[in-house]
Amino acid sequence: MSDGAVLAVRDLRTVFPSESGPVTTVDKVSFSLGAGETLAVVGESGSGKTMTFLSVLRLVPPPGRVIGGEVLFEGADIATLSASAMRSIRGAGIAMVFQDPLTALNPVFTIGDQMLEVIRAHTGMGPRQARVRALEVLERVHIPAPAQRIDDYPHQLSGGMRQRVLIAMAIALRPKVLIADEPTTALDVTVQAQILELLAELRSELGMGMVLITHDLGLVAKYADRVAVMYAGRVVETSPMARGFGQSRHPYTRSLFRSIPRLDLPADQPLTAIAGQPPDLARLPAGCAFEPRCFLGNGREDCRNERPALSPTTSDRHLSACPHWRTLLDAEPGA
Amino acid sequence: MLRYTARRLLLMSITVIGMVTVVFFLLRAIPGDPASYMLGDYATEESVAALKAELGLDRPVWEQYLGFVKRALTGDLGTSVVTGQPAFDEVLESIPWSAALSVSGIIIAVLAGVPLGVMSAVRHGTFADLFVMLGALIGISFPVFWVGLVCILLLAHEVRLFPALGASSSQDFFTQVHHLMLPALVLGFSVAAYIARLTRSAMLEVLGQDFVRVARAMGVPERRIVYRLALRNALIPVLAVIGVTFAWSLGSAILVEAVFSRPGLGSMILKAVFARDYQLVQAGVFVLASAVVLVNTSLDIVYGWVDPRVSVS
Ligand SMILES: Nc1ncnc2c1ncn2[C@@H]1O[C@H](COP(=O)(O)OP(=O)(O)OP(=O)(O)O)[C@@H](O)[C@H]1O
Ligand SMILES: [Mg+2]
Repeated sequence: MSDGAVLAVRDLRTVFPSESGPVTTVDKVSFSLGAGETLAVVGESGSGKTMTFLSVLRLVPPPGRVIGGEVLFEGADIATLSASAMRSIRGAGIAMVFQDPLTALNPVFTIGDQMLEVIRAHTGMGPRQARVRALEVLERVHIPAPAQRIDDYPHQLSGGMRQRVLIAMAIALRPKVLIADEPTTALDVTVQAQILELLAELRSELGMGMVLITHDLGLVAKYADRVAVMYAGRVVETSPMARGFGQSRHPYTRSLFRSIPRLDLPADQPLTAIAGQPPDLARLPAGCAFEPRCFLGNGREDCRNERPALSPTTSDRHLSACPHWRTLLDAEPGA
Repeated sequence: MLRYTARRLLLMSITVIGMVTVVFFLLRAIPGDPASYMLGDYATEESVAALKAELGLDRPVWEQYLGFVKRALTGDLGTSVVTGQPAFDEVLESIPWSAALSVSGIIIAVLAGVPLGVMSAVRHGTFADLFVMLGALIGISFPVFWVGLVCILLLAHEVRLFPALGASSSQDFFTQVHHLMLPALVLGFSVAAYIARLTRSAMLEVLGQDFVRVARAMGVPERRIVYRLALRNALIPVLAVIGVTFAWSLGSAILVEAVFSRPGLGSMILKAVFARDYQLVQAGVFVLASAVVLVNTSLDIVYGWVDPRVSVS
């Protein structure tokens, strides 16, 4: 993939042992992220989005284990680093913001205290200096009157303010990569837009690579440069966002896109939920994991027997794991 | 904060008054009375009746109660019929013995129970965890007097590390401490078992919370996460039960005092109940109840300080 990527992941695999054998929650996932670029990661609940990035940070909860793959951060493989070297990359090189700001802050420490804990874990700063830094970043995420807010406990702040605090914590050490895992799902709509604008602003100011994990395809179109679609622990399509979802070359992406309300289609066009249930990772079919729900597959021999790999389509920037992607293009004239 | 404290104090007094009242009537409901006890088995009915009249026991119970309350309000808790000393003075004399035992027991329990619980949680599923939890199970399920007897047998009789008696008439501080050690360890062990289990489960729960994952994702060292960020959360439920533990340790202290022939509030009240020494029992219960309530109230205040979410309104 593109050289000069700040984060490149190749064939990452994570398994959880279970009674019915190991369950692969992250299955040979590959993607890359350039500096200053926003990569959106979409997919149904349980498709492995969060687990992929926990694997990147080597924070998979036991008994889960990363069993293979390369994670290149600024060109160096961090998958084999020692635990303490890995720790110094977390937060300072690659930072992550999680879904629920209400539970992501420690209820019995002030936000300043928690920020200082992070800042001082990575720098030799004394408490005073670290506090100055904390105030700077709180200002940067547009928290009003940070000098008063810094000594508040989390329960004294609104959800949106807490997410800002978490973002401040994440950017305090100027990471090269910021992973935002559904940063706005727990917030109400007006606050959602503010947080996303803030993230976009910080990304361009600080030149970070950003991963935006989301369910909301509308957000993807607005904020992402590229998109990776995940299904059953795998990336099934990656494409430049400029093409839009109408050009997608995987039937799952098409179905996903058709299942969201859109303003550019006639209001009477029915929404179509994706047929069937998300797959059980412990009992994946031998072939394509999406085959049972696919409108293209329909029992095709090859779909049922062979597990398709992510491969280039018309360009090597647009990859799809569907061998029948051409059929999708033929179906839509002008592609 | 002032109103909160005032309300707590009011609640506290009501609890103590309630306790003493219940004990007052319970004592008079059990068969036997101090007069017959003092005069022994061969006393004539007339002499018992005369002594009863002298002690005011011939009057209706509610009248006795009113008299008791009236005197108690002036700070007079009556006189022990057995020794003739003011009951309150007798109680005061036994307080240092009980306080030393209970407080050192709880200190041992917290110092051992909290770190062992944390260690068990951090290394849960390992041999060390299993070992600690097995020890805790023994501490919880074996009665404290049995543990006390076994300890006397092994550590005082066989190995002779400690004296078998839990007290000494010596004025020497170190001798007293030496005598206190074994009873305090025995009492501390059962409380520690309880605290270790509680700390472990609280810690396990906290370590699974989102904010711990966030701290890890931000590269905060594991030791800071466990011993600072998570521990303060885990200590909240532990703190909440230390008050309960204190009440419970005073109860166990009665048994420990008996096994080690150690003076104290517990063994004093026990003896007084057998002698139907009403005044002494009442004074003892008054002090005991006040101590328990006082400790619990102060812990509530500390609790509010550790957990900022507990509002004082
Ligand atoms: N602690 C765990 N033990 C076993 N399996 C787990 C554990 N955590 C997650 N999984 C499994 O890993 C898979 C991927 O989960 P993940 O949280 O990455 O999904 P996701 O795409 O982030 O979903 P969502 O959109 O709901 O956040 C799921 O099938 C889930 O059941
Ligand atoms: Mg997730």
